Amino acid sequence: MAEITARDVSSFSGTTRKQYWRDIHRLTPYLFLILPIALYCAWVIGPMFYSVWMSFTNADGISRQDYIGQANFRRLFNDDIFWTSLLNNFKWLIAFITFPIVAGLGLAILLNNDLPGTRFFKAGFFSPMVVSTVVIGLVWSWMYQPYGMINEVLSRLGRDAMPIGFLADPEIVNWAIIGAALWRQVGYVMLLYLAGLKNVDRTLVEASRVDGASSFQSFKDIVIPMLQPVTVIIVVISVIDALRSFDLVNIMTRGGPFNQSSVLAQMMYIEAFNNYNMGYGAAIATVLALISIVFIFAYLRRMLKDEMEY
Amino acid sequence: MKRSMSRVLQSTHSRRDVGRQAVALGLSLPVLGGLVGLGYTGAYAQDGGAVNLASNASDPAVRERLEGLINNYNEGGEYAVEINTTEHEALKQAIRTYLASDSPPDVLTWFAGNRMRFFSNAGLLMPLDDIYEANGWETAYAEGIRSVSKDSDDLYYFVPTSYYHWAVWYRPSMFEEFGIEIPENWDQFLGVVDTLKENGKVPISIGTLAPWTAAGWFDYLNMRVNGPEFHIQLMDGEVAYNTPEVKDAFGRWRELLDKEAFLPQPEAYSWQDAVTPFAQGDAGMYLMGRFIMDQFPEELQDDLDFFRFPVIEEGVGLGEDAPTDGFFAAAQAPNPEGAKALLTYLGGAEAQTYLVEQGGSPAVHQDVSLDLYDDITRRGVEMLQASDLIAQFYDRDTHPDMAQHGMSAFQEFWNNPDDLDGILDGLDEERQRVFESDA
Amino acid sequence: MASASVTSDPYVYRKRRNWKPLRIAFYYAFLIPLLLIWLVPIFMTLLTSVRSLDDITLNGPFSWPSSFEIENFSEAWSSGGLNRYMLNSFIITIPALIICLSLSSLAAFALARFTFKGNLIIYFTFVGGSLLPFQILMLPVYQLSNTLNLYDTYWALIIFHGAFQIGFCTFVLRNFIRTIPGEIFDAARIDGASEFRIYHQHVMPLSLPALAALATLEFTWIFNDYLWALILVQRDKLKPVTTGLASLRGEYIQAFNIQFAGTLIAVVPTVLLFIFLQRYFIQGLTMGSGK
Repeated sequence: MAEITARDVSSFSGTTRKQYWRDIHRLTPYLFLILPIALYCAWVIGPMFYSVWMSFTNADGISRQDYIGQANFRRLFNDDIFWTSLLNNFKWLIAFITFPIVAGLGLAILLNNDLPGTRFFKAGFFSPMVVSTVVIGLVWSWMYQPYGMINEVLSRLGRDAMPIGFLADPEIVNWAIIGAALWRQVGYVMLLYLAGLKNVDRTLVEASRVDGASSFQSFKDIVIPMLQPVTVIIVVISVIDALRSFDLVNIMTRGGPFNQSSVLAQMMYIEAFNNYNMGYGAAIATVLALISIVFIFAYLRRMLKDEMEY
Repeated sequence: MKRSMSRVLQSTHSRRDVGRQAVALGLSLPVLGGLVGLGYTGAYAQDGGAVNLASNASDPAVRERLEGLINNYNEGGEYAVEINTTEHEALKQAIRTYLASDSPPDVLTWFAGNRMRFFSNAGLLMPLDDIYEANGWETAYAEGIRSVSKDSDDLYYFVPTSYYHWAVWYRPSMFEEFGIEIPENWDQFLGVVDTLKENGKVPISIGTLAPWTAAGWFDYLNMRVNGPEFHIQLMDGEVAYNTPEVKDAFGRWRELLDKEAFLPQPEAYSWQDAVTPFAQGDAGMYLMGRFIMDQFPEELQDDLDFFRFPVIEEGVGLGEDAPTDGFFAAAQAPNPEGAKALLTYLGGAEAQTYLVEQGGSPAVHQDVSLDLYDDITRRGVEMLQASDLIAQFYDRDTHPDMAQHGMSAFQEFWNNPDDLDGILDGLDEERQRVFESDA
Repeated sequence: MASASVTSDPYVYRKRRNWKPLRIAFYYAFLIPLLLIWLVPIFMTLLTSVRSLDDITLNGPFSWPSSFEIENFSEAWSSGGLNRYMLNSFIITIPALIICLSLSSLAAFALARFTFKGNLIIYFTFVGGSLLPFQILMLPVYQLSNTLNLYDTYWALIIFHGAFQIGFCTFVLRNFIRTIPGEIFDAARIDGASEFRIYHQHVMPLSLPALAALATLEFTWIFNDYLWALILVQRDKLKPVTTGLASLRGEYIQAFNIQFAGTLIAVVPTVLLFIFLQRYFIQGLTMGSGK
């Protein structure tokens, strides 16, 4: 874009300088946005709608793609695996918005200092996030084996009964996998809270201490509310990650035993890529997206309120 | 003051600015150009004699063998074959995307039977009758092998190269110690289970984390109780799952479960994990394919042997699982002549001999000498040759969707054997759905 | 209230150097064991990577190693193909980063500094899109790549990652640019600078902290991506480190030891980046809170 000076502008016949700037202003943002929006629509927004359309077909990814109306969804709601997966996603959700937040906040507060070695502690607790999920899944699978580490430790601590089949028992397999996922997630949340704590205005806290509040009180009444924006973000991210969870389930149990640890993402993957039911898989993905959108909407609404206030 | 300052800023900026812009442009062009170039080399190059072979041979030993073979081929031939390996399990999902793309690989590794027919039915594979004729493969391959290389319209689409046997593996030293004889029928087999149990050993090791190991048990129980023909009909969706015959087979399974013959909590172990108790001498038997030899520790190989799955019902015929691996070509292959030339080589005795010599699974070509095999493998091949029918294994014989539900059902049965009727009814519903929609 | 913006004063909630030695002792006594337990799985990874496969099979994964094979690492690097996979990972990640950050900053500037119809809707679309479960994109993106003849090329992954991450980066940058004082823009406009020049000369340099933070985060995410590499790239010589490592997993044999060794090598760039740019990483993660 050529550099336009005020002098040039006034030489345009018929337009005043003010009008010209107004016109440019009106167009400019769109010009800036063309490329990003085009790319984003082509690769994200468009595909999303295409997937939704695919869920109304019997696509098998190779030869056919005929419209079949709601058949996929009807089949979905009658599918036991779907309801099991949904329930399991719910378990993931609950776990992800409770434990990591408490543990992450706790660690963040603990580590929010400049003692020697704190940097290593922070890195250490965060390190699970950088290791590949494949390896995490494998190692934790070993740890969970009937004669693996965890049972070994339990028996040394005096437990006599049969070893616990963490990944074999349908009742606890979900929580076992979630455990591995939480191990990974806590460091991430801790880091977010550490950053959030940096934004907490010290003067307010000190003022409250001067006024005689105990450290716990000032923590409860000042710090926690100030962490609210970060907490909101963390909750949203946690919810989305819980719904997206796929890697660990796929690696540790493939959804087994007999689908008891399946989650929607895993079910979708198997249906689409193993059973060649693309349309059905798209239907599952659509349901997954709809559930996510509910939470996304709630978050956006809140953001909208903040925007309006701004 | 403001204006003069801004004018100063403006003028200094403009000169520096132009300079910087020029430098930026100068630097970015080659970078961009390089990236574009990379993109093009990334795109599939189709010059003359290049052949793209997509392989699932991700096991280190298998991979080496194939690479060695292709190197030999490339030296002599006019085509330059390039191998692209995908992780074995991942290829099962990814192959669909590969075949359906606009520039698929020319030749791909795959499995015979229904797994292959799924793609030939969709018109994604190249018919190979001409190669079969030209090379006399009608005589070189056994009938059973050829029948699983054909489509339902009796055309060849698949070049088989190797297969391997399944059997019950055991530790001879352990059997000797407890005075156990190789069981030939079901009662004797149960006796072996009892003896092992009395001596504090786990009779049968198994890991059902990946549920296909349980499907192995189903295959054999079904074939031994109801006969291999019935089994194939079941695989093809022609008979139902909730029939008395199938329940019979499950009944035998139940007998083993009631005796607690299996490793406890098998769903927690991958099949490799389950080899550990077998290798350590805590478990006596393991139903598995020949490849267990590769997982078994080197120093204990002498103490490993197998026997044929015991007969349950007399006179139903002996069916064996012998998954057959090989290659096929994409219908839209960019280099069809190259593909066919490569397939001709791969299906011939020379290539298959090479693979066997390098330690690979038994070859299908009749001209490959049996003397090349070690004792165990040779006896395995002889066992297959003496069988009445060769099955491909559950998840290759039946539709993948069906196999998925079937294997879940086996796991569920393992967990709740009392719920057999409910499980089989549910499974049959899936069978009706899957085979209805199949053309 | 302090804002995470151009200048932030790192606030430490209670300066701990005034603690009594006893308290400090308890601090370490609690944290060190906790950390060690926390890192057990990582230690296991390390241990396994130097054992032989027979050792693992015979003695189980938990036994004390009776072998020591540091060659596993060199084997992972050369015959495992890790050298090529690592290069591919960089070839994919860096251009994707450039595309994403440049386009996001353009969009963020427009959204932050101009009022126009559809501003909020576009902004929310970017935000919402970044939170979508990727499963809903899998099949169409594959088909799109196929149609555009990008399938099985570096570009398929580069463009996809570049495009998809625009959502999150626009979100962060837009909030960041909002914190830049308006006077800078007014002064520039009075001088008659075009909007593009303002973007180029003022916004970009001032956004460097945010850009650095995003670059760090995005690098990690794109570098560690497995699923899209699996779907969009087939040939071995193009595979990034994630799918490349997976192809070491066999049908029959899983060479855990080599696989783990490979994973540890693959983790090095991310870890290095994180250690040296920890500060930016943390900044990047909070930019989103925007307050």
